[in-house]
Amino acid sequence: MPDSAHPIEVVVNGERHESVVLGRQLLVHYLRETLGLKGTHIGCDSGNCGACTVIVDGKAVKSCMQLAAQADGREIETVESLSEPLGPPNRLQAAFTRHHALQCGYCTPGMLMSATALLREQEAPGEEQIRRGLKGNICRCTGYVNIVRAVQDAAGTLAQGARIPGENSPRESSPRGADSPAPSRAAGAER
Amino acid sequence: MLLPELEYARPDTLQEAVEALAGTRNARVLAGGQTLLNALKLRIVHPDLLVDVSRLEELRQIVEDEDGTLRLGAALTYDELAGDALVRARHPVTAAMTSRIVDRQVRARGTLGGNVCLGDPTSNFPPLLVALDARLVLRGPAGSRELPAERFYLAPYLTALEPGELLTEVLLPPLAAGEGVGYESLQVGTDSWALARASALVRVQEGRIAAARVVLGCGPVPTRQPAMEAALVGGPATREAIAEAARLAGEAFAPQADVHATAEYRIAMARVMARRAVIAATKEA
Repeated sequence: MPDSAHPIEVVVNGERHESVVLGRQLLVHYLRETLGLKGTHIGCDSGNCGACTVIVDGKAVKSCMQLAAQADGREIETVESLSEPLGPPNRLQAAFTRHHALQCGYCTPGMLMSATALLREQEAPGEEQIRRGLKGNICRCTGYVNIVRAVQDAAGTLAQGARIPGENSPRESSPRGADSPAPSRAAGAER
Repeated sequence: MLLPELEYARPDTLQEAVEALAGTRNARVLAGGQTLLNALKLRIVHPDLLVDVSRLEELRQIVEDEDGTLRLGAALTYDELAGDALVRARHPVTAAMTSRIVDRQVRARGTLGGNVCLGDPTSNFPPLLVALDARLVLRGPAGSRELPAERFYLAPYLTALEPGELLTEVLLPPLAAGEGVGYESLQVGTDSWALARASALVRVQEGRIAAARVVLGCGPVPTRQPAMEAALVGGPATREAIAEAARLAGEAFAPQADVHATAEYRIAMARVMARRAVIAATKEA
């Protein structure tokens, strides 16, 4: 049985795209290869790790577990939508930088997109809600503590004493994070 | 990983979907795809055609009949079910269980129908639906038929769905006064798959258990526990009496041993889950 081809129309990071996709094409391949949005990572390719997480119509989903054809008519947000290229990181990204919430960084796009969806749904999630909310994303480097702290910081639910990322030397921070002004909340927490 | 070559179709109506399924020898229903896409990647299934039913309006309704029966469309996602005010009000235990399936990404895509029809021994819904005495509406080229959930599961991954048939709705009977539901799982991690599950529906009258349905999950098929049910009925709705009755759980229950647990351990834990599920159900009643 040959592949079938399907015209689709999607809005990705605010931009409308009309494409023809194969029936068997996964959404993650469409985003990375057809649209060149390589921020969405392929980790396990089996729905377990969450590195390929994007937001479709407001919901975080694993883009390796959905056909591109199934995204027809949907609005998709990838990690590229969080901030401008070379521009300052957004509040969540800045919190990840301050709290060392990444090491190799491979899982980070998925973590950011899951956390973005979580923070839109819940105004002030606590640690338990964040851990449960990020359960679909696996990180093999950090042990999660710093990721949870970063999301708590971005959510404004981090305890005062834990909100001190000021020890980071600029060299250790990402250039973006170091150059950009820290969000006022974090600035206020610095000793 | 690239999927095998296949055709994809997204019919606009249920009738067209049924015709597509019946008209292609090797067609499969695609809804959320949270299991099927992995099965395709692993070349476990080799369909020629995927019929995407995830947008069919007929499969996305939640309707309460006059007699209180809740009709749940098979293509509703876990998120949609867990967040629905009617489901939460009428079947709070079902809503709570659904809100804790796997993770947020899976809950955004995975569907009730997919969970029910996969027939995976560890799936969440099967033991619950059997305990609730749910009925399943199956639509084929010859029309619709209803089947109690209890008669739907034949063996692991094998259900009473005929080729060309599609699950369209799950019907939950209303809970009567004094009825409560319990659902307990032994999970390896938070919201993970389970080693043992049990679900119970009990009716409590004046401190005594007047009716009980107890079902074990994580065996080959969801398994009613008639001996435990009989021991419960007529007895007091107390922890002690329930614990005594739960010693009879495990009847006709033959879970597989695997890398995670021996069969004996699963049976022992199923008894614990059965006891907890009934205790929880009496509190809900």
